[in-house]
Amino acid sequence: MVNENHQRVLHSSCNPTESRRFFKRGQLKIQQMAFMLIGVTLLFVFVGIFFLAINLYDVQKTATSLEEDNALSLVSKLANSPEFSCGNSFGSSRSNCIDFDKLIILQGLSSKYQNFWGITKIQIRKIYPEDETICTEENYPDCGIINLLDKKVNSTAFTSNFVSLCRKDLSESAIYDKCELALLMVASEDSG
Amino acid sequence: MEKPSLPSVNKMLKNHRGALEISFGWLFALIAGAVILFLAIYLSTKIIGTSDETISAETGKEITVLLNPLETSFETAQTTSITISSETRINNICDSISPFGKQALQLDQKRFNEWTNTDTDISSYNKYIFSEDQIEGKTFYLFSKPFNSPFKVANLIYLTSADDVYCFMNAPTEIKEEILNLNQENLIVDNCTRGSIKVCFNGGTCNITVDYSDGEVKKGKDILYFYEIDDSNALMYAAIFSDKEVYECQVKRLMLRLEQLALIYYDKELLTRKVGCDDNLGTELIQLSSLADNLNNSADLNVIKINAEDITLKNNVRKCLLW
Repeated sequence: MVNENHQRVLHSSCNPTESRRFFKRGQLKIQQMAFMLIGVTLLFVFVGIFFLAINLYDVQKTATSLEEDNALSLVSKLANSPEFSCGNSFGSSRSNCIDFDKLIILQGLSSKYQNFWGITKIQIRKIYPEDETICTEENYPDCGIINLLDKKVNSTAFTSNFVSLCRKDLSESAIYDKCELALLMVASEDSG
Repeated sequence: MEKPSLPSVNKMLKNHRGALEISFGWLFALIAGAVILFLAIYLSTKIIGTSDETISAETGKEITVLLNPLETSFETAQTTSITISSETRINNICDSISPFGKQALQLDQKRFNEWTNTDTDISSYNKYIFSEDQIEGKTFYLFSKPFNSPFKVANLIYLTSADDVYCFMNAPTEIKEEILNLNQENLIVDNCTRGSIKVCFNGGTCNITVDYSDGEVKKGKDILYFYEIDDSNALMYAAIFSDKEVYECQVKRLMLRLEQLALIYYDKELLTRKVGCDDNLGTELIQLSSLADNLNNSADLNVIKINAEDITLKNNVRKCLLW
């Protein structure tokens, strides 16, 4: 076989037409192999991209699910954190009680507290008596919705918890505790 | 120049036969095979690395989510445990950068008897985890206590490995009772086992010595300072379970939060004044906020304590309590 090739080489070196045909066949083989190489590489790249996409989708799903879990577990405890909780200001210690005065102050500090709780939105909505007015320093306390945090990112649906919203009020020169029913709503980032 | 004769060309080819024997097909197969093998090995290593990072990040986030229920309302302490399927090393990373510092957990897991080092850390800004900077094990215990100074500042979380048994010797009765009530397997009272970390309350040769009256915890050469203005002993436990670096950093973070909370209460006092509530704490709250901001290390905590005690007394006599 090798000798045959040698003979062909020697023969073709003498005959120009034969020699051109032999090199053309060689070129064709090289082209075939180049195409084959490109094909194999592309196949691997596509398979790789496919697996990476699946992997990435899974990671994104897990991230969103963990963020949701975070929001869910946080909403039941957020009312007890020092920035929100009533403490002992309204008589005895109350669980799930939010200090309305602190909220309105906190609203002005939203840039400082932007990343503090690891969630994207916090809204407190008075549900009884219902009031659709958005709270500002000017209309406080005659309002019903406080947007404490509102990051402009993709967010999941709100998770909520019932709380009592308390503040001190004045009635005929007597100070009393005024508590209303409210909904504490939080949303987390949607990575998907 | 003379042309070589046919027999001499034949001879030359005969001498170089070895080089010509590898056909192009073989050469291609070898090169392509080598490239494919190299890519496969390289990608597998990368994928394993990425999957380690993902597992570490997921577990870290799961732990952070699990810490949310440890936020207490009016309970004195809460405890829970975490079991991870493989041997894990938790790195407690603390950063006291403004406005509230950062708490990060970085998890390394054991694979084929080797620790896989990951670069992914899971951060939170509202958690304060006190532990050694590196703890290892499969099961970890967590318990939390509220830290008040003079109002509630945060819940402190103490993270320990089930492999580290802390033995409290001659502790005051209320601490003994609290530890027994926690029912945490790695916290024992008086009957110390071999290899346990001994925590003494009246001197002696122990790993950790607590000087309760002076507010000091001694660990080898390190002294960590603490104070309490209620009976929670939150900072004392923090000093016992963490090393100096983590403790000092977390104390600094606590003071950053205290600084903000003091300003919130200052504004609240102004708001409640409109409905007729008293106005007696403004200056003290501003002073407390400034002291907290200027705290260098735990040795300065005594000044905060004096101020906080004064504020507590003044708040207790108000018509409308601020907290």
